[in-house]
Amino acid sequence: MLDRLMLVLILSDLAFLGVSRFSAALSLLALQGALLGALALAAHGSASTERMVLLALIGLILRGVLFPWLLRRTARRAEIVEERNPLVGFAPSLLIGLVLLGIAMTLGARLPLRTSPMLGLVVPASLFTVFTGVFLVVARRKALSQCLGYLVLDNGIYGFGVATVGNIPALVELGTLLDALVAVLVMAIAMYRLREEFDHMNTDQLDTLRG
Amino acid sequence: MSAEHLLWLTVLGPAVFALAATLVRSTRASLAIVAAGSLVSSALNALIAILVLARGPLLAGAGWFRVDALSACHLALLALVGASSGLYAVIYLAEELRQGSLTARQARHFAGLWCGTLAALAFLLVSNNLGLMWVGLETTTLLTAFLIALHVSRESLEAMWKYLLICSVAIAFAFMGTLLAAAAATTTHSGAPPALFWTDLIAVAPRLDPALMRAAFLFLIVGYGTKAGLAPMHNWLPDAHSQAPAPVSALFSCFMLNAALYCTLRFIPVMEGVPGCAGWAQGLLLGFGLISVVVGAGFMLFQHDAKRLFAYCSVEHVGLIGLGLGLGGLGTVAALLHSVNHSLAKALAFFAAGRLGQAHGTHEIAHMSGALRTSRAWGVALLASCLALVGAAPFATFLSELLLLKALFDHGRTALLVVVLAALGLAFVGLMRHAIRLAWARGEEPPRRITVGIADVALVSLVLAALIALGVVIPTPLRQAVQAAAAIVNAPSAANLVAGVRP
Repeated sequence: MLDRLMLVLILSDLAFLGVSRFSAALSLLALQGALLGALALAAHGSASTERMVLLALIGLILRGVLFPWLLRRTARRAEIVEERNPLVGFAPSLLIGLVLLGIAMTLGARLPLRTSPMLGLVVPASLFTVFTGVFLVVARRKALSQCLGYLVLDNGIYGFGVATVGNIPALVELGTLLDALVAVLVMAIAMYRLREEFDHMNTDQLDTLRG
Repeated sequence: MSAEHLLWLTVLGPAVFALAATLVRSTRASLAIVAAGSLVSSALNALIAILVLARGPLLAGAGWFRVDALSACHLALLALVGASSGLYAVIYLAEELRQGSLTARQARHFAGLWCGTLAALAFLLVSNNLGLMWVGLETTTLLTAFLIALHVSRESLEAMWKYLLICSVAIAFAFMGTLLAAAAATTTHSGAPPALFWTDLIAVAPRLDPALMRAAFLFLIVGYGTKAGLAPMHNWLPDAHSQAPAPVSALFSCFMLNAALYCTLRFIPVMEGVPGCAGWAQGLLLGFGLISVVVGAGFMLFQHDAKRLFAYCSVEHVGLIGLGLGLGGLGTVAALLHSVNHSLAKALAFFAAGRLGQAHGTHEIAHMSGALRTSRAWGVALLASCLALVGAAPFATFLSELLLLKALFDHGRTALLVVVLAALGLAFVGLMRHAIRLAWARGEEPPRRITVGIADVALVSLVLAALIALGVVIPTPLRQAVQAAAAIVNAPSAANLVAGVRP
């Protein structure tokens, strides 16, 4: 069952590389949030404690509902619809994505992690999500796309943590969740300000500071 | 009140001031909060540092908080930088208020974010948990982003966005590294789940998987190294440091970079304990340090903005500190000493650049000449800080740079020594070329009058006196503190000693 979830995660990453419309990208983000929530709930089966379930639910609500909603609101207010001409086009992005997937698979198999066999695909899928996130930050122009990339990266790291560490102390997990929430809020406000000042959110025009 | 409560207080104290800042309405009250918050936080940090250095590590919160000599040294530095730049912030913002370029809203934001940042910095230093330490550093990124764009302009927004994005992604990498280290620790435990305590990790270091730990440290050094301004991940730094208001630049250069390095430093003794990894992590740090020294010094030659010049100078000095930490032994002592001296000198440099910038309405070096005529106190401060930053003789930086070079020589790294000396030469040319012009040249347009009061003079003379005093003698308490901190970084892990294995 988990393997199927992870296949969907991998497919959603590939879809991220190919979509230009933010409404679609934000739905993908919500899907990933839900997938990771399900992963966190299912990863430890009957061994999970009430506290772990509670944390997984909080994570699910934040990653699956709140973050996509906040960004959707930002996109609507700032009237941004799509990423028009990214630094790396959508078709090349997909090809690069496939290469990244290969790297993630190899790396996932070679890292000497002690994970239960049930979690087979989780490590490579999370690593691929991390790579996809970093690639999106680098290869897209719109501030909103870069923010999405950051969240995809964050999703990947979360999945990796669930698979490999399992029982992260609650305080640390809450702290990281809080940081992610504040990061999204700060980035959303930053995007408003960029919008007001530049009348667009293409970060490639942010090039006055050089040298 | 017991000593343990102090650890809670030093985090919660400034946080309360930050909350208070959201309630006040007047600009004056906001400025008062900045001053009070900085002083209270600094007093608490200094007190903890003194207690720890005199009596040994302090624990609180069931082991979640722990301060040893290494964190105590950094707390003392935070106390120094927090107090001086907090007071400077009040002077600086008061001038902006007189010039009419500061609104009550901006003052309120500044006060809240400033005190919040001080709380987050103290939090990451007193945390014994590597996960919470990470949370603290990421919080500083988020809080300081809006401090950069306090005055909204195209440039400041650009700097803010770059800073926010690059540092957030980098810090996410550091979290990946922390998770990998935790995963390695999971494989050593059979029953109890790892709580990511530094003290636990160092105890099990000899049983950690070398491959996993190497992967972890790579992520950590790239992640935390970006925030520390190590080249080639330093891209955000000159933008953020030059666009932020001067007190924020000072806090960035003089403590934020050190805080990020501190996070990396926490993993060094762990890595040294992992079988087959002795010297590997330090070698990486040495490499990044060397690149930073060369890149920082090289870029200083081409700058025309005073604060940008100082920002690249910070890259160079962080490189020197990284170099020393990478060498180990005497190098670690020299590096820790140099971080204190650099922070003092760089604080003075940014303070002066900020105040003189207010007089000239720009930080372009070409328009800022004749600083000694504009304001005697700040002109002297600018010139002296430039001299200190190139490591000239009566100043403390001379002593610590000499120690660093000696450490390089003692380790037989002659080739490295030559490269570093050449880079220091470049930095000398890059900085002094401008310093002389800034101090004496006659400018085209007369500067605006800025009100230089007794507070300005007092601040300049205090920092300057400290820089010169530390250049003459290293006081025994400071020497002992730095040596105790270096011993923690260089120590073979406790478990190694128990097993009788020498590194």
